[in-house]
Amino acid sequence: MSQHESQNTPDVTLINRREFIKKTAVGAGVVAATMAMPGFMMGNAEAVDLANLPMKYKDYNVVFVSFDALQAAHVGVLGNPRNVTPTIDAMAKGGFNFTNAISVASWTVPASMTWFTGVYPSEHRLTNKFSVFNPPDHNVLSNLKKLSPELVTLAEVLKQNGYATGGFTGNAGVNGIFGYSQGFDEYFFEPGKFGSMSVSIPKGLEWLHKNKDKKFFMFLHGYDMHGQHVPEEGYDYRFVDKGYDKRYTGSAKEQEALREEGLAKGTVAVRNEDVQFWRAIYDEKIQRTDARFKKFLDEYQRMGLMDKTIFVLTSDHGTELFEHNRIDHGFSLYNELIHVPLIIKLPGQKAGKVIRDQVSSIDVMPTILDLVDAQVPDKVKKQMRGATLVTALKGKPVDKDVFFETDYRLYTYKRGLLTKDGWKMVYTLENKNRELYNLKTDPHETKNLVDQEPRRAYEMEQRVFAFFKSIGHDLMAKQWIPGMNPVYDSQAKQVFKQT
Amino acid sequence: MYKMNTWVPPRQAVKVIILCVTLVVALAGFAAADGKAPVSLTNYSSQTRNILKRATGSRFENTNVILVSLQCLRPDHMGIGGYKRDTTPNMDRMSKSAVLFENSIAQTNLTPVAMMAALTGQYPRVNGMIAFDVTKDSVAARTMPEILKYYGYKTAAVLSSPEFFMRFDGETGKTINLRDVFSRSYDDYIWPRRHVGASMRVEPTESLDWLDKNKSKKFFLWIGSGSIHPPYAATVPPPYKTMYDPPGYTPFWQKFFPVSGNEGGPDDPTIDILLRIWDGDYYQGFKPVHHLTKDDAAYIISRYDAGVHYTDMFIGQLLKKLKDTGLDKNTIVIFYSIHGKMLGERGTFINYDLYEPVLKNSLIVRFPDGKYAGRRIPDQVQGIDILPTLLDYLNIPIAADLEGVDLMPLIRGEKGAKGSEYAFIDRMPWWEHWMSRFFLEFKFQDPLKANHPPSEDKAIIEYGNMLRKAFPPDSYPPGDIAIRTNQWKLILRKNPKLLDKVSWPKFITGKPRPIANVELYDLVADPLETRNVVAEYPKVAADLKARLMAWDAGIEKKKAPYRRTGEKRYLIPYP
Repeated sequence: MSQHESQNTPDVTLINRREFIKKTAVGAGVVAATMAMPGFMMGNAEAVDLANLPMKYKDYNVVFVSFDALQAAHVGVLGNPRNVTPTIDAMAKGGFNFTNAISVASWTVPASMTWFTGVYPSEHRLTNKFSVFNPPDHNVLSNLKKLSPELVTLAEVLKQNGYATGGFTGNAGVNGIFGYSQGFDEYFFEPGKFGSMSVSIPKGLEWLHKNKDKKFFMFLHGYDMHGQHVPEEGYDYRFVDKGYDKRYTGSAKEQEALREEGLAKGTVAVRNEDVQFWRAIYDEKIQRTDARFKKFLDEYQRMGLMDKTIFVLTSDHGTELFEHNRIDHGFSLYNELIHVPLIIKLPGQKAGKVIRDQVSSIDVMPTILDLVDAQVPDKVKKQMRGATLVTALKGKPVDKDVFFETDYRLYTYKRGLLTKDGWKMVYTLENKNRELYNLKTDPHETKNLVDQEPRRAYEMEQRVFAFFKSIGHDLMAKQWIPGMNPVYDSQAKQVFKQT
Repeated sequence: MYKMNTWVPPRQAVKVIILCVTLVVALAGFAAADGKAPVSLTNYSSQTRNILKRATGSRFENTNVILVSLQCLRPDHMGIGGYKRDTTPNMDRMSKSAVLFENSIAQTNLTPVAMMAALTGQYPRVNGMIAFDVTKDSVAARTMPEILKYYGYKTAAVLSSPEFFMRFDGETGKTINLRDVFSRSYDDYIWPRRHVGASMRVEPTESLDWLDKNKSKKFFLWIGSGSIHPPYAATVPPPYKTMYDPPGYTPFWQKFFPVSGNEGGPDDPTIDILLRIWDGDYYQGFKPVHHLTKDDAAYIISRYDAGVHYTDMFIGQLLKKLKDTGLDKNTIVIFYSIHGKMLGERGTFINYDLYEPVLKNSLIVRFPDGKYAGRRIPDQVQGIDILPTLLDYLNIPIAADLEGVDLMPLIRGEKGAKGSEYAFIDRMPWWEHWMSRFFLEFKFQDPLKANHPPSEDKAIIEYGNMLRKAFPPDSYPPGDIAIRTNQWKLILRKNPKLLDKVSWPKFITGKPRPIANVELYDLVADPLETRNVVAEYPKVAADLKARLMAWDAGIEKKKAPYRRTGEKRYLIPYP
């Protein structure tokens, strides 16, 4: 499949999020749409099914899955023309598929902690690997308890509600040392690894077998499609063009080198066929992950837990695959990074529903607590910034403007706003650069409209500043100086060498 | 000879100020101490709520804005300020239908720097306008016309202050009409110069024609009159020019070497003359050659007053135009004098330093149809407050990077509203800094101009060389800082050694002039600032110094670079 005319022109066959959503919105009664997306269509029986869902699932199990670095547009039900996510798609079609879920950040460390605390990265303060980076001897790893001792985690609240809590992860950005383990009875991470679900799933199943008779909350995570992970069994290059000259092989080192080149130069020179290659192996990784996840579900089914469990499937962030001339993630806030899948499948749910309202990953924690009808301490109610999405599951509008941010490695400091009507402002604090995009007409964020829409740019900029100030972060109060705060060991070693 | 018009705070005002602190913190939108206030509309400041609501039917849809800058106008030389002469009948009448700020403080002592602070709502070091050698991108901060343009305003300026137009090329000495740093975001930028000589200022009457042509549009017009600036009354026609002269008086400087060059006529008080007056003596050849008499001072003041009066006549025309066109019903007019002047206080006649006659300026705001007519606001306010106030009035979100106070609550008379208990001032650049960039080279080393006595030749060249060494081309200009309350002013010299080394007064008087590192003045007991009481009030001094240093540290963190591009620097000619 030829996807790219050149790396500089947006790929026309890539999903245009809003067009796609429009198409699916044509909805009711259109047979063609029914055939393409059966889950979106609702017959009377299905409507009755949805209406009969209790929306209160006290003491049900919760399985919360993060497919790390899964770009929304690469999921089948969100528009990937390649059939790489049949399992995830099936979940989406039989559940609630949020087609406009936006993450609060564009990389693992800050984004994931927001699920577990219900506050923005600026507030939980887990915004980089080190809270103090002063090599060689004075580095302090970020840790939730130290940075924000007052915050209560999702796992802690569920534990208080009598849940067995287990987390099974690929380490790295969600390792326990950062405080991700806070509230979990058992939290698996293999130090030094960007582990995949091929490791976390068996560990998780082992735990499930021990805990399946209790009510439980399980966090399942893997780096299967992350740039720093290569399938254990190797690539078979199933989607790579047969004639590709193999300039790249898809190794973690190659992606790291391309990422660093992009950071250093602002853009990476790769050929169109290389772009296609990287997207092809990304799809291969996704397909392999989906298959792994299917095996997990099969085993889960065999344990007879399906109808006792709420599933939440999502990703912490996406991946840039040269949409903006760079690869990897964290350093920008384009939609290929912050638009994530979000699927909620309720126990006994037969009919699916597409929810097009724009929501945020900040809403995940209040939604889970609401669904299981948990006793939530007032302190935690006050803590959470988001809103329950159960409202949306009940068919009421929840569409809202969403905010996001990244302080990636201190390489850049960005804050942004995406309005529900598709206007996006990204403000870069270290150089006061502003980007304004109209996603309705420019879904790939290629035309900065700051000069054409000065008033809108000004007002959205003011909203970004006002919003962060309202959550206790006056962006004017400090200086934003780019620096170095390594995330990967290779960078840390470089810095140590220099000092 | 001169009495300060200082406002003394009534005792109960102090209490009000304390009560206000809570409210202001809330207004500023800081989150509660635990930083975890839930996000709901009620938790936002009123400003934020405005942003979120995205106002409909907002004032910016049909309100024009006129900003009138009246460089060097001292409020105490206006009728409304209690002056003995009827210098400003038109502005006095206008102020009855306007809001008069009785305690408005300049951001600094020099025109381009103080004006840019007002136009950007930011302190000088933050907006980047900190020297007289500027490139077109010296100031990256958003300005008043820029924001108004976002909201569909046609923007224009008619300015007779050469500071806002004219530049000198430091290499050739040529005058260049660059329209650079101030002219950004204007559709029309007009200099009514009328070929009267580089420094000669006329009334910007072209602004009246512009109003006729554009009255049906939604507009922002900056009218800048530079004609109160020295050379005093040089372009004022008879009989107004001499209307206040002491009878039969001959200017004292005519007995000495003519230093004014082509800056004005022989009877005009020029900058070149004024900056040779220190401690009441006129200096040539580094010696006092004349002690100023009462008549000498009265003459300079008379000419200053003549300029004020003539400018007021122009304001009369402007007010008539607004009434005749009906623009007075939908136009907010802001009169702002940028800074004042010394008129003999401390024996000086220029705006060299940060004393009260220089810092106190005039700010009068006439709202459409005379709303809030007759309000008198005693609170201390600053130049940087103008922009946030205007934006709030127009229902435009106030940019997060503005540093001034929104004065609308004060204007509306809201309970607890207040101005700035502390005003902060950057004395930047030093006079010697702009002299090093321009003045000495083209006024003293150009033999054709020969506007210094031959006996000063060698010393002047050496002084110029020393200055250029002291201020290397791309090094950040040094400055002084000050803090002011209604009772106190504390001036802190950030680099007193260097200031002493380069000191113009020390040079031209040929006498050491020790500079105190810290000066503290009790503005109530000693309005003429004759006694430094830093030793008598150590607690007051320590408190003010701590606040000033904290402010300074904050500014240092966000200061703009001195140079932005490799572009050539051209020089603003006048302080």
